[in-house]
Amino acid sequence: MAGTEHTNVEDTLKRIEAHKGVIGTIVVNTEGIPIRTTLDNSTTVQYAGLLRHLAMMARSTVRDIDPQNDLTFLRIRSKKHEILVAPENDFLLIVIQNPSE
Amino acid sequence: MFTDEALDSVSVQSQWRISQQSAQESRSCQTRAVHRAEAEVQAGSSSTCCTQTETQPQEELHLQDGLELPGLRDFLQRVEDPVVRELVRNARSHAFDEFQVNGEDHRQRVSCLHFLQHSSAQERGLHVTSVSWNCTGSVIACAYGRIDDGDWSTERSCVCTWNLDRRSLNPKQADLVIHVPTAVTALCCHPEQPALIAGGLYSGEVLVWDTSRTQDPVLVQTGMSADSHREPVYTVAWVPLQKKGEFGVLSAGSAGRVLLWTVDLEEARFVLSAAYALVPQQLPHSSGSSSSFKARGSSTVGVTSLALSPWDPDTFLVGSEGGLLLRCSFSSQTPAAVPPEGQSVTLRAPAVFLFKPRSGPVHSIHCSPFHRNLFWSPSRPLVFAAATGQGEVQIFDLGRRSLRPAATIEGGTDQPATCLSFNHRNPHLLAVGRTDGSVGIWQLSHDLTEQGPRESSQLEQIANQVAE
Repeated sequence: MAGTEHTNVEDTLKRIEAHKGVIGTIVVNTEGIPIRTTLDNSTTVQYAGLLRHLAMMARSTVRDIDPQNDLTFLRIRSKKHEILVAPENDFLLIVIQNPSE
Repeated sequence: MFTDEALDSVSVQSQWRISQQSAQESRSCQTRAVHRAEAEVQAGSSSTCCTQTETQPQEELHLQDGLELPGLRDFLQRVEDPVVRELVRNARSHAFDEFQVNGEDHRQRVSCLHFLQHSSAQERGLHVTSVSWNCTGSVIACAYGRIDDGDWSTERSCVCTWNLDRRSLNPKQADLVIHVPTAVTALCCHPEQPALIAGGLYSGEVLVWDTSRTQDPVLVQTGMSADSHREPVYTVAWVPLQKKGEFGVLSAGSAGRVLLWTVDLEEARFVLSAAYALVPQQLPHSSGSSSSFKARGSSTVGVTSLALSPWDPDTFLVGSEGGLLLRCSFSSQTPAAVPPEGQSVTLRAPAVFLFKPRSGPVHSIHCSPFHRNLFWSPSRPLVFAAATGQGEVQIFDLGRRSLRPAATIEGGTDQPATCLSFNHRNPHLLAVGRTDGSVGIWQLSHDLTEQGPRESSQLEQIANQVAE
């Protein structure tokens, strides 16, 4: 049972990573500790810490404007690439994509 | 009647003896106990404390192999679809195709920042023969001389430097003027030390000036020896030598000689360390050009320009009066087929490869830092600038796919522009020297200096097309 769950998780992540232009993926748990990553250690920790704060702020912004609303997706487009953040109550999925490739 | 009388003896004490006995009295005194306290002071002990920012302590990544966190799978299942949708949409989106945001203000036009002139050079009608930025990007050095003179001239000329970052910049008066006995034909600033400038003269000498010395700024010079050039030196360049941090000076003249000098500071002279001669018989033939090449019967290949390749420290490129572009290597060992004239170092033939010849003299070439085989501007891979004889400087942008120049810098006067130099530290600045003795510093517009996202790949495409 644990084995199949494990492979499902890995498969899902592999599917996401196989998309065009994806540079890396990071999965972060509730405490902000990255649990799965395809990037190197220091970059991962940096992304996880910073994006968690940003996602929390974005969510509180959305809820302040309308308390019945909630944040579903966060996209940050920069000169070099785009960062997609999918926040949930317990986990955070960060995907970094280079859209012009 | 008579009786015995016994008398007591009488003793008389000796006064003398008493006086000899010194009165002895013993007295003693003693101070009270001295309070003593010991304390030591020593300045020797020190403690050192250093602080240094360190990268954040890396938290352990819980990469669990067998154990799964509860809910991870469910989370991923929920999240996968929206994420994939967004990824696909991003890959197909054209929303940001031409969108380029920059925080700085847009400079849409090319504008002239400064117009520098040196009064005494202008009075004598000298042309600006060469300009060079120094390594920090703030000082521009200009060499004056004549280009159109065919004869040997003994006219004095000068090298002027202006520091553009100073507030007290006076465009009519140079910050530093170095007087030189003959016309200066080539100039190059040292790539690491901001005070050294190397120059080549019309008489064939090569000099290095040290602008930080207030007295005689000439640091070393070659003088007229059997080793040096006999013809005007057209280009001078600093070359990194084997020892890290040391630089030598490479000079090229119109007699076809390319000489490499090392600076000997103790004796304040140049030491010739390598010499190369370009002789037409020894140039390699490229396919299709051998017939036209043999028709030119000149005995030497006059070198007008030189460039070092940033990719390969062994190669350098040479452009000649006849329109040839050669790639040469420093370490070639074949000796040159030239009668020896008493030089101390044997000449070598360095040419390794011949590019397609052009029809006019090649006045200047620069190696592109972006691609091995093309020559361009330092910051944008697709932009290069050409100075024309009519006085305009045309800047071409290959990304626009048209033959017309992307921007043209008008002279203001109609004097031909003779030399150009991009500033490596501040890629917006371009210095243009003209025959009326003035140097213009231009600030290039925004789109000419910022690198767009696809430029490297476009450059690759163009390079591949040309190679075919």
